[in-house]
Amino acid sequence: MLLCDFHIHTTYSDGSVELRRAIDIFGQAGFDVIAITDHVVNGDNSFGKIAHRFRYSVASNNFYRYVEHIMEEAERAMKKYDMLVIPGVEISKNHLTAEKSAHMLIIDIRDFIPACWSYEEIFLEARKQGALTVACHPHYMSPKTDRDTLFLWNNRDRYARYIDAWEIANRDDVFNVISLKKYPHIANSDFHKPRHLYSWKTLLNCEKDTATIKECIKHNKGVAITLFRN
Amino acid sequence: MVLFWICAAAASIGVIGYFLQMIAVRSVTAHPSPAEGKRASGDLLPVSILKPLKGLDDGLFDNLESFCTLDYPMYEIIFALQNRNDPACRVAEKIKEKYPLSDISIVVEYCNEGLNPKVNNLIPAYKRAKYELLLISDSNVRVEKDYLKAVATHMGDLSVGLVSNMIKGVGGRSVGAVLENLHLNSFIVGSVCFLDKYIGLPCVIGKSMLLRRSDLAEIGGFAAVKDVLAEDYIIGERIHELGKKVVLSSHVIRNVNEYWGVEKFVNRHTRWGKLRWHIGGVKYFSELISNAVFIAGLPLVFSATARISLFLAAAVCSVKIARDFYIGRRLGAGMNPLLYLIVPLKDVLIGFIWFVPLLSKRVVWRGNNYVIGKDSQLFPCPTHSSHRLRPGIISAIRTRLALSRS
Repeated sequence: MLLCDFHIHTTYSDGSVELRRAIDIFGQAGFDVIAITDHVVNGDNSFGKIAHRFRYSVASNNFYRYVEHIMEEAERAMKKYDMLVIPGVEISKNHLTAEKSAHMLIIDIRDFIPACWSYEEIFLEARKQGALTVACHPHYMSPKTDRDTLFLWNNRDRYARYIDAWEIANRDDVFNVISLKKYPHIANSDFHKPRHLYSWKTLLNCEKDTATIKECIKHNKGVAITLFRN
Repeated sequence: MVLFWICAAAASIGVIGYFLQMIAVRSVTAHPSPAEGKRASGDLLPVSILKPLKGLDDGLFDNLESFCTLDYPMYEIIFALQNRNDPACRVAEKIKEKYPLSDISIVVEYCNEGLNPKVNNLIPAYKRAKYELLLISDSNVRVEKDYLKAVATHMGDLSVGLVSNMIKGVGGRSVGAVLENLHLNSFIVGSVCFLDKYIGLPCVIGKSMLLRRSDLAEIGGFAAVKDVLAEDYIIGERIHELGKKVVLSSHVIRNVNEYWGVEKFVNRHTRWGKLRWHIGGVKYFSELISNAVFIAGLPLVFSATARISLFLAAAVCSVKIARDFYIGRRLGAGMNPLLYLIVPLKDVLIGFIWFVPLLSKRVVWRGNNYVIGKDSQLFPCPTHSSHRLRPGIISAIRTRLALSRS
């Protein structure tokens, strides 16, 4: 089984660890597959403007450098740790209320997708690029946080057909509603700090290459989740 | 005023101790043994490296990998784990796959012969070891290519029974890890060198121990230390009692501590303090005197405004910072010089930790609870209500803290 984490932030957005070190943390811990998914925040409201102002978001002007950097590190990670690193982003549509906010991972992204696009435009563009779309932390999280993002879950009848998988567990939270709906699922750390390494993860029973991994997640065969503890 | 002069006198002794430790470190690192690394490859005996693994240490992959690229003619590596679900098992497997030509085995066997979890891990590995020379090496150390050659050359002298190494803490990226590395690179390394140079007392740190299988068997094998906390110290002491030399190699190995929390630092040094208290007895009190920063700070507590008290504390702190900076440079610890400014804070914390062993015999190690006795003998933690209640309360506090931190 491949030990995987598809939701990792670095200093390209609001993570506390730079890209190289984040990859090393997972490589040193024996991971097989990870995706780097820094935030792309919508710039059409004050939240987004603040995020862009303080560079807590990948933007159109540094996106290709970001992907290039990930690919350089991916080569090193494969050589050193035999670990596959996939470039991605977390499209973050932040609004005042949880009901209007949504985050989604676009894994194996090729071209920049602005977060201010409509949901349909984002999903269709991701599909065009052959990327995997994952709805992140789609339900209520533990009371410690106020960053619930409920839009996709509340509008699942409309958007579920575009979404390849849902996060059934994110760091310490488990969303049982995902299993009740029998949606394809994965579990991730939403890594921002080194201690987030110890959190929910995905185990995949497939070959270690990007295309097979995406198929495995989409078809939800051979997918298990595990709480990774030291 | 009397208190001030008592503290000033004790702090002066501590400062002298600082300088003696500094000289000892300088001496050990300045004069590598003539034997080290000088022997021809053909004279070097094959070595079995026993690596007990438990959980993910910081930089585990690189730590283990550094043993696969040693410049040494013949050696085997045995990674020993208690169960296959240990996350370190996956890392060991990756290392084995990466170095198919190296003689690497992974032994996964549950063993509960004793109370010391590290020894329980070592027993199955020991049974599978092929060679006469055994190197017991912790999973949180990283070595250079010439390390094994440097330590194994000592074994050409049949009067040598055990070779251990100095350690330096490296890689600190969190407050706890920085405190740990500062302490390793001052008190720990200073004490080991001091005991080696001036007292001739074998003080073995279990991060790296090279010994002969026959000598280990003569002192009773791992069975003799399965129920003690300080298995490294006891092995060194018994080898010494056999009439064999216990050598401190000048080769400094790296102890990688990157992301420790302060709690882990406090837990480790409370445990080590208890260990030294139960082995050293009254000698343990010398540690308090040798903590000149803590002693020099005491008059401030009782007469905070006295200028002379401030002067004493400032002078001692300056000396300690300068000394630790020197030792750190000497060892090549590579720490940011500004981090040495927190040395006094660390020493004050260590001063408080010093009292804990006098009040408590309970030890928590790798998630297990023990009671420690004379010579660091371990006993299962009693199950009466007060001992049961305490972990429950601590666990509840930790859960609340974790929730609030996240």
